[in-house]
Amino acid sequence: MTTRVEEIDGKLVATLIGELDTAAAAETEKAMLPLMDCKGKDIVIDCTGLEYIASSGLRLLLSVLKNAQSQGSHVVLKNVNDVVKDVLDLTGFVSLFEIE
Amino acid sequence: MITLHFDMKKVDSNWITRVGIVVFAAILVEVISVVQDQRLRGMMVEEMNLHSKAVLVSKAHEIEHMLELTEATLAENRWVIEQQLSQPDSLFWVLERVIDDNPHVVGGCLAFVPYYYPSKGRLFEPYAYKLADGSIVAEQLGGLEHDYTRNPEFTWSLDHLAPSWTDPYLYGPDSLSYATYNEPIYDSKGRLAAFCGLDIDLSWLGDTLNAHQPFPSSYGLLLTTEGDLVAGPSEERISREEVLRAVDIVNGKLSEADFPGIAIRKTRLEKEPYWQLVQVYKKDEVLAPMHKMRRQQWLFMLLGVAILAFMINRYARNENKLRVASAEQARIGGELAVARDIQQQMLPKVFPSYVYGTLEPALEVGGDLYDFYIRDGKLFFCIGDVSGKGVPSAMLMSMIHSLFRVVSRKEESPSQILGALNNQLCAGDDSNMFVTCFVGCLDLYTGKLNYANAGHDKPFLLTSSAALLPVKANLPLGVFPGTEFELQSMVFSPGTALFLYTDGLTEAKNKQRQALGRERVQQMLDSCLAKGTDAPEQLVNALSAEAHSFAGEGAQSDDLTLLCIRFQPGDILSRNITLGNNKDEVAQLSTFVKDFLGHIEMERRVAAGLRLALEEIVVNVMNYAYPAGEHGEVTVYADSNYKEVRFTVVDTGFPFDPTAVLSVDTTLDAQNRPIGGLGIHLTRKMVDSISYSRKHGFNVLTLTKSIS
Repeated sequence: MTTRVEEIDGKLVATLIGELDTAAAAETEKAMLPLMDCKGKDIVIDCTGLEYIASSGLRLLLSVLKNAQSQGSHVVLKNVNDVVKDVLDLTGFVSLFEIE
Repeated sequence: MITLHFDMKKVDSNWITRVGIVVFAAILVEVISVVQDQRLRGMMVEEMNLHSKAVLVSKAHEIEHMLELTEATLAENRWVIEQQLSQPDSLFWVLERVIDDNPHVVGGCLAFVPYYYPSKGRLFEPYAYKLADGSIVAEQLGGLEHDYTRNPEFTWSLDHLAPSWTDPYLYGPDSLSYATYNEPIYDSKGRLAAFCGLDIDLSWLGDTLNAHQPFPSSYGLLLTTEGDLVAGPSEERISREEVLRAVDIVNGKLSEADFPGIAIRKTRLEKEPYWQLVQVYKKDEVLAPMHKMRRQQWLFMLLGVAILAFMINRYARNENKLRVASAEQARIGGELAVARDIQQQMLPKVFPSYVYGTLEPALEVGGDLYDFYIRDGKLFFCIGDVSGKGVPSAMLMSMIHSLFRVVSRKEESPSQILGALNNQLCAGDDSNMFVTCFVGCLDLYTGKLNYANAGHDKPFLLTSSAALLPVKANLPLGVFPGTEFELQSMVFSPGTALFLYTDGLTEAKNKQRQALGRERVQQMLDSCLAKGTDAPEQLVNALSAEAHSFAGEGAQSDDLTLLCIRFQPGDILSRNITLGNNKDEVAQLSTFVKDFLGHIEMERRVAAGLRLALEEIVVNVMNYAYPAGEHGEVTVYADSNYKEVRFTVVDTGFPFDPTAVLSVDTTLDAQNRPIGGLGIHLTRKMVDSISYSRKHGFNVLTLTKSIS
């Protein structure tokens, strides 16, 4: 699991590559810490390389979302594959996030 | 130590109770016997009184009768004497005749007033008496040497001119006892002529009084009015001294109270001369029967108390034994329940679709065993029956079970496995118990079955019908070290199954003590095969039900163990993995599940969903099943027949049923979303069915998903 966070065109872009299972959650959480300091900047989470997500990963996304909303930021999930999309559908997360 | 201490106290208080009961019983008996004694004593004294009264009255009557007879004799003969007064010498003859006619009169005299017959001088006293030989002698007694006028009786009679009895007196060469009745005789002119005296012999009185005495030392006495002794027992019977003492008591010279051993009863004649009749008893003798009874009573009481003590002791000991035994039984019962749990835990809990088994112990713990597991695509299995039932055989069974697991990890040949088991068993077993055992190894891909038997019942081979598998019997395990168990093999065609059992099935007994029998088992299997209800679980359940219905309500007589294995080539995939409760090990789970699912053709999304479903359950166990910081394990069994995937998650943590967790509300907005609960929600959504059970301390959760 690889996680990269960078600022592109005033947006915080997090790129997740690999499988975000329970074992990877802690490490990913650490890597995504810069997103917690978004200060109104929108956040894009690039899921092109995200092959799998478990509930621990969802929890991570939820905490990013809650934090961003309190700071007036939007969170966009980009390029979600069908596997991850199923999970988002089943948990109602599709209605929480903006999905591109 | 504490238990022991309490036991000692219990025993002590028991002893006190027991001794108390015996002492109480003894006191009760003694009190009863004392009261009875008093009554008895009263009764015996009363009897003595009655007896003495009867004796005294009858003797008194006898004497009175004698006296009256004498008085009557004189009255009858008075006229003859009066008539013959004129011829003094004929009076001798008259007296002789009176004596002769009246046997009770032993002598008679006529004491004439002085000078009545001037010719006879001053004193004249004709006298006739009976000699010892019965002849009668008459003589004249009056004279210088015998001046009867000086006799007190004579002077008394002269003064009173009335009939009178003398007090008894001793007279004659034999010192016999006599009494004389005197009456005045008047002549035709009305002048006092003489006093006529008739003597009677009283010496018989002593004998009469003392004949038929009720006790050896009781005796009768005759005393004069003044209390002089007239007649009594012979000196051989009662000493003179004793008799005189009694006389003194009667006369008031000695106090009766000073002689508590003596009881005296007396009466007087109801007429002149009012002599006294006395009965003397010794109290000891009167009460002797009572004393004898008392001694017997004591003996009986002692005997009774001893018997009572013995019975109480026995009863108490039995009760103690019973209490100890029932406590022991309760303890053993508890331990048996634990043993049963342990034993049950060793049995397989998760069955792939092609294997099913059951073990029902007859007693709390059983001597049967069966086991199976898959290693390297091969199914290792065994079924066995330890001789006997109960704890010892269960312990041996547990040992075999563990040994099977250990040995078969490294050894593939059933023959070698049995050989190793046998040697271990022979080495350590002095109890002469043996074990029948069948071990097999089925290659799940090729269908080759290797097997070896150690004296166990031949399994059934199920194809289109049921038949016995060709099996060499061989010796059971634990008989001889070094026994060889011939390796046999056979290649199963797809669908072939093996049905193994212990004799609890074929030997199941009905009320008539008939056994179910192998033929009946074979018929049942055939009918199941014909009906198509031939999945291993169906077969095992059908035969188990048959055994139970055959046996009826009676207790199951032997352990019942059934195991059925079906060869389903290529369409069975089984894997398992055991992880610690550490979330880092989820990575291993991921690898395991991806690898397992990789063998099965399915959509990527389905595979990801299955992986997610399993991961959420396992992570949940890792997080919450065990106390924080404590090591625990979770095992995942993954099976598939390529149409369906089944995951079974087993842990020994706190009982927890994830299926009972409420669904999360997926319509809430982000701020109101709870962090937890998503995992189980996802699992539910990803599989077709989810079921939970708690078995023998294990949480067993099964997920199934159809992939066709």
